[in-house]
Amino acid sequence: MKENVISATVVTLLLFLNTCLLNGQLPPGKPEIFKCRSPNKETFTCWWRPGTDGGLPTNYSLTYHREGETLMHECPDYITGGPNSCHFGKQYTSMWRTYIMMVNATNQMGSSFSDELYVDVTYIVQPDPPLELTVEVKQPEDRKPYLWMKWSPPTLIDLKTGWFTLLYEIRLKPEKAAEWETHFAGQQTEFKILSLHPGQKYLVQVRCKPDHGYWSAWSPATFIQIPSDFIMNDTTVWISVAVLSAVICLIIVWAVALKGYSMVTCIFPPVPGPKIKGFDAHLLEKGKSEELLSALGCQDFPPTSDYEDLLVEYLEVDDSEDQHLMSAHSKEHPSQGMKPTYLDPDTDSGRGSCDSPSLLSEKCEEPQANPSTFYDPEVIEKPENPETTHTWDPQCISMEGKIPYFHAGGSKCSTWPLIQHNPRSSYHNITDVCELAVGPADAPATLLDEAGKDALKSSQTIKSREEGKAAQQREVDSFHSKTDQDTPWLLPQEKTPFGSAKPLDYVEIHKVNKDGALSLLPKQRENSGQPEKPRAPENSKEYAKVSGVMDNNILVLVPDPHAKNVACFEESAKEAPPSLEQNQAEKDLANFTATPSKCRIQLGGLDYLDPACFTHSFH
Amino acid sequence: MNIKGSPWKAGSLLLLLVSNLLLCQNVAPLPVCPGGAARCQVTLRDLFDRAVVLSHYIHNLSSEMFSEFDKRYTHGRGFITRAINSCHTSSLPTPEDKEQAQQINQKDFLSLIVSILRSWNEPLYHLVTEVRGMEEAPEAILSKAVEIEEQTKRLLEGMELIVSQVHPETKENEIYPVWTGLPSLQMADEESRLSAYYNLLHCLRRDSHKIDNYLKLLKCRIIHNNNC
Repeated sequence: MKENVISATVVTLLLFLNTCLLNGQLPPGKPEIFKCRSPNKETFTCWWRPGTDGGLPTNYSLTYHREGETLMHECPDYITGGPNSCHFGKQYTSMWRTYIMMVNATNQMGSSFSDELYVDVTYIVQPDPPLELTVEVKQPEDRKPYLWMKWSPPTLIDLKTGWFTLLYEIRLKPEKAAEWETHFAGQQTEFKILSLHPGQKYLVQVRCKPDHGYWSAWSPATFIQIPSDFIMNDTTVWISVAVLSAVICLIIVWAVALKGYSMVTCIFPPVPGPKIKGFDAHLLEKGKSEELLSALGCQDFPPTSDYEDLLVEYLEVDDSEDQHLMSAHSKEHPSQGMKPTYLDPDTDSGRGSCDSPSLLSEKCEEPQANPSTFYDPEVIEKPENPETTHTWDPQCISMEGKIPYFHAGGSKCSTWPLIQHNPRSSYHNITDVCELAVGPADAPATLLDEAGKDALKSSQTIKSREEGKAAQQREVDSFHSKTDQDTPWLLPQEKTPFGSAKPLDYVEIHKVNKDGALSLLPKQRENSGQPEKPRAPENSKEYAKVSGVMDNNILVLVPDPHAKNVACFEESAKEAPPSLEQNQAEKDLANFTATPSKCRIQLGGLDYLDPACFTHSFH
Repeated sequence: MNIKGSPWKAGSLLLLLVSNLLLCQNVAPLPVCPGGAARCQVTLRDLFDRAVVLSHYIHNLSSEMFSEFDKRYTHGRGFITRAINSCHTSSLPTPEDKEQAQQINQKDFLSLIVSILRSWNEPLYHLVTEVRGMEEAPEAILSKAVEIEEQTKRLLEGMELIVSQVHPETKENEIYPVWTGLPSLQMADEESRLSAYYNLLHCLRRDSHKIDNYLKLLKCRIIHNNNC
């Protein structure tokens, strides 16, 4: 039973289908909306593709509704856009709103609906191509020729209010070329092309696009013939420039070949090396420019004097009948107002090894071994009170009024060899060689450290008092080592009245008179020969302390109150009664021992006074 | 020799330093003067040019981000149908064609733009946070989201400056539509979550285009007197 019904139904349908097919009538196929475009963001058009034809006349209708609305609308314009299109006019077009549209195909047999299409006008913008493209060759007189093209935007697009923004692109090619040369033109409606092949026919096209959207189609091609006399002036200029530069290069090569090395030296002169005597390259490398400068013995670089001028000058005191100072001159140096002397090369007198120029660089690095210090020309040039010079005993001739000195009482005179400056500091130690007029010929001299020497100089020469103190300590130590080694310090040997073959001797403080001046005795090197030595030093260390400065250029020395380092007041038999002076010295000592505490600097048992204190306290 | 080399080295170092400073100045974006309208040296034209550049850039980024998201996660699955009426800014009276745009007065137009920008601060922030927290976070989408968030803030600053110059008497109106889509971004159901992201990116693309178009309109109106 059921099988019969089913088979009957099937047969009926097949017959119906057969009939329809024979007639060619079917309901329409499903249409499809395939494209929607808006050329100006004010209108838009949608096109659909019909489905299979049912053989019968088919009506299409497009219906839509918009986002946020429920009402269905039908297409307002089926004509403007052509067949199978729907055009939405200005009043029907909204931006930023989704349209949901559908096409309905209907014929006698039936109808079919397309799928829903969701369209937002915002994203379907594609303008028409630009219009009126004009191209011409322009050849201005004083400039290069170029191709000039101009166009206008498509119609119906509102650029003035900013509703629509257009961007352009052009392309061109010689007629027979395969590939286009494309250039982006931005928002401008004109363009220049500079590089062209003369005598060829060019095709030019332009297209445009919105700021956010699709490119338009290319405009119809415009043809332009480039004239054959389209001169590329560039090449001529470049050829002449190349030729000229080649010629110049040849000339240079020829000149160099001829003159060769001399030309090279003319262009690149050799760099001169430093030729300053006393210049220690090692100190440069270490970066100790201060020491280097001080090694040169001057505050101002470069030094103006030769090395010989920096040497310690020794003035010999001749306390024989002549009573004149003789100084060995190496060179005249009138500007400094003094005459440098050579120390006796035979004896390693306390000049220190820094004396000889050849040994300077090696030995001056270790000033501990060389207690010598360089002479500072500034010291010499410091104006000294010339009067004090003349208070000297006429037996004594000091340096020409430029050297600070001790004022020794009585018929003493002292000459002050200016010892070489310690390279490690600018602290200047002056050894005074004081020879008593009545001193024995072979009496040694005592080295006196003059801490107060700095007080006499201007403070500018004192760079580091602590350094100076340390240097002083080292000098003292080295002094002792020297004395131990039996190396005399000061006197130049050959001209000394004490004996031509004698080593330098030390001067001891003999006494201090009421003015605070020192009287010095040559020191006995060996503890023999001198009958009276009331207070021989326990060790050979003897110091004089500077307790004060008088008159800006006179140092007041006191014996060191410490038992170990007591300066030895030795009395010579030839001296005036020592007891009186000794008492006086003691009194003076008492007077001057009360130095300001701050001026005392204890250094390993040695008590030194800061000379700066005295400059303040005494002036 | 050290003595010879050191002046050259010092000179070349100095030259490098100076050139770097100069280049850095060129690379940095033009500062919009912060000191208030009275002392501002940046012209209104510069402000609008800058704003248009930013809005154009932001829409490009949004469009790319949407395309990438759709291509990767939701293409052909009809998510667009659920995106209808999903934008939180639809309550704002924004013009939808040229005629409507030309009828709005300048002041309202500017405050409208500012409202849209303000209303997108929070959604952008959450978008970045949520995408970053995704497993296998898509780097292309995340980087664009981060950039959009950054540039939108700067655009908002620029707009506030423009407002202060064009309409100094405008009182600060902090009313703007509030976005409430965060829970849907965090839903467990993948379909719902994807739909939430789709809607968010769809609305972002649309609103960024709106802002770009409005600013270009205003620029031509205010700066060029409708003669662009």
